[in-house]
Amino acid sequence: MMARDQGSFSIDNPWPRIGWGMTAGVIVVAGVIGFGLLSRYQQNGSNLDLWNSICRGLGVTSDSASASEPRPASRSPTQIAWTSGTLARIGAGDPDHGAFVALNCAACHGQGGVSTSTLIPTLAGMDSTVIYKQLDDYRSGNRLWGVMGAMAKSLSPQDSADVAAYFAAQQDGLPAIGSNRIPESGRSLREADPAQRLVFAGDPQRGIPPCSACHGPGGYKLGAPALEGQRAAYIERQLAAFAQGTRENDIFQQMRIVAKQLTQDEMHALAAFYGMPGSGKVAGRVFR
Amino acid sequence: MHNSSRLALYHCWVAFAVFLPAVALGAWQMLMRSPLPAPLDDPNAYYASVTLHGTAMAYVITTFFAMGFGYAVTATSLERPLRGVAAAWIGFFICLIGTVMAVLAILSGRASVLYTFYPPLLASSWYYFGAFLLVGGSMIWVVLMIYNMAAWKRDNPGRPVPLAMFAITATALLWAWAASGVIIELVGVLLPRALGLTTQIYAGLARTLFSVTLHAIVYFWLMPAYIAFYTLVPQAAGGRLYSDTMGRLTFIMFLVFSLPVGMHHLFADPEHGAGLKFVQSFLTFFVALPTLLTVFSICASLEIAGRVRGGRGLLGWILVLPWHEPMVLAVALSLVMLGFGGFGGLINMSYAMNSMIHNTSWVTAHFHLIFGGAVVIMYFAVAYEMWPRITGKPLRSKALARWQLWLWFWGMIIATVPWHITGLMGQPRRVAVFDYSDPFVAPMGPLVIISVVGGAILLLSAILLIVVLVRSQFGERHLEAPLRYALAVNPPRTVPASLNGFALWNAIVLVLMLFAYGYPIGQFFFLKSSVPAYEVTHTSAIAAGVR
Repeated sequence: MMARDQGSFSIDNPWPRIGWGMTAGVIVVAGVIGFGLLSRYQQNGSNLDLWNSICRGLGVTSDSASASEPRPASRSPTQIAWTSGTLARIGAGDPDHGAFVALNCAACHGQGGVSTSTLIPTLAGMDSTVIYKQLDDYRSGNRLWGVMGAMAKSLSPQDSADVAAYFAAQQDGLPAIGSNRIPESGRSLREADPAQRLVFAGDPQRGIPPCSACHGPGGYKLGAPALEGQRAAYIERQLAAFAQGTRENDIFQQMRIVAKQLTQDEMHALAAFYGMPGSGKVAGRVFR
Repeated sequence: MHNSSRLALYHCWVAFAVFLPAVALGAWQMLMRSPLPAPLDDPNAYYASVTLHGTAMAYVITTFFAMGFGYAVTATSLERPLRGVAAAWIGFFICLIGTVMAVLAILSGRASVLYTFYPPLLASSWYYFGAFLLVGGSMIWVVLMIYNMAAWKRDNPGRPVPLAMFAITATALLWAWAASGVIIELVGVLLPRALGLTTQIYAGLARTLFSVTLHAIVYFWLMPAYIAFYTLVPQAAGGRLYSDTMGRLTFIMFLVFSLPVGMHHLFADPEHGAGLKFVQSFLTFFVALPTLLTVFSICASLEIAGRVRGGRGLLGWILVLPWHEPMVLAVALSLVMLGFGGFGGLINMSYAMNSMIHNTSWVTAHFHLIFGGAVVIMYFAVAYEMWPRITGKPLRSKALARWQLWLWFWGMIIATVPWHITGLMGQPRRVAVFDYSDPFVAPMGPLVIISVVGGAILLLSAILLIVVLVRSQFGERHLEAPLRYALAVNPPRTVPASLNGFALWNAIVLVLMLFAYGYPIGQFFFLKSSVPAYEVTHTSAIAAGVR
């Protein structure tokens, strides 16, 4: 036997035959168990056919995708951009037709937009751009709250502009914004009262800008509501919604980033600061 | 002194010079992770130390020892001078330079990668270049081993290659196959990133390539010990090798079965399918075959020696073996540790049971028993055998050498048994600091302290080793006894070509590697359906001067 065995690769010789035979045997047994039996019967898909079980064994499953991170669908928090076209449409709102549309709103937001419920915002005196944007966000599903989505969907953009013009012109609601737009002086980071400190100085360590830079008093920004005189419980609920991510219609996440870092006590204090006296659980501007 | 002897001696000097500080680091690491107070109580130092300890033990000592042993075996078993001595010296210095580069990179604190090449851990390019030179330099040795065996076969047609030479060539081939993974990983993935040429690392690809090396490298470490089992132990015991063919089959099986199995290190990785992991788990079980064959052959050879020495009865031959010989004592201690470690290894390689102990101190215990215990104790015995033959100076003294071997054995047992238990309790490995006040961790405290005692005993043993070797080196020269290899009971006159060369077995390795790794590596290039690339964004590790 040994004398014959001089060609390492000739299959007529015993050692190559043993070597290749065992190699083939090992490959077949390992393959059958690994890709047939194991993948088919040990994984929880009892209805796998042979081909699918081989794919399972190779790591190719039906949920295998290309080698990229899962990416959430591209989604804009709002459809509104403050272009001259948008502003022109809002400015052209017809308050008379708006009064007719506003009949739909009175049941909740009160006669003339002056809310009598703590959780529902007063609209009288609110900037028309703010109302228009929120209606648009409700219509597109970017802001979700109760019946507002359905209400907004029943309105055309022109209806929205009209009703916004109507509420903006109403009296006895939110205080009129003065012509003096310079933030109040004498308020600084050394302010002991946390609400006042946040409103007028913010908290640079947490990256929180002063609320008053956009929401008054003093500073106002297009599309951001002036908060003075608003319902305190409503403000507090909105802060909580931003913090928890249930309200997401703030562009660049500006409100979500701020609200996430506020403590519950701070949210409460801020709501009380801005809120109309008697509109929250704590009466009056207790921190003033 | 013969030129090949000087080569062997220099390689062993480097290996053992690195060995002692590496053991000291290991002992300190055990203290550091225990509840006991440790000097230099700094986690960063711990991770750098793990890197240094592992790099020294796994890459430097083993590579240098195998190379030195290979040169000695070539010259003595073929009974003619080594061919290509100049190339061998070039390889020695390339490896030495690589070692120095890697060690300096670690000491400068810019290569704390836990001695593995697993991204996203990333080291300074100096470390990777050093490792590349060390592995690349050893390829010169690989070529020389193959060249010397082929040249001898050409000059002695029809004669069987001596078993020792056949085995060391198998070792060289195994190392060439094994190193291909890490070389491709270094050149293709790690160095480009470390040099700042790329910003992303395909972590899955890099880990898969390293797994090609990771398990076969262990058998590269193991082979010199097995060569000693087959060719030196029966001679030292005063008997003969039970079977020459069994020896050849053992080394062939190591070459074939230790390669397509590395993915059992990646059982917890997401980038490979369960079927592929099972295939490699299945193949891993075949590695037990050559070890079981060896245990049988060695016990049979020792029994032959015992009966020749007049031992009677079922077990009487054990008592009359020359236990005063370090080689005989070492083989017994080695087999005990191989038994314990092998048992743990069966758990590691089992696809299902692996998840019980994956990345726990159980794994550390396993490879310390197999490599640090069973293999390294044979390195000691080989050194005790070779040193006097090479230098002509007798060992001073055999009693001290026996103490050293016993201490190493007990130190390793005391260190690793607690690790096995804490591993089952869930203690992760490669972690510097544990909160022993945590109720989950607290029961591990006493066990870890016991292992510290084992570490101290190991350090003592390592010091003794150096003492014995240095004392022998400075002794008088009055010994002329060349290294002799054990004859088989039936010395082979002719051997089938397949058992006298490696052509067939290399072809089989290629087929098995394609079966085991073709798809797992190919998927990264063709399907791209795998774990996402890691973007490694931390600051580039290159020195400002090099950039």
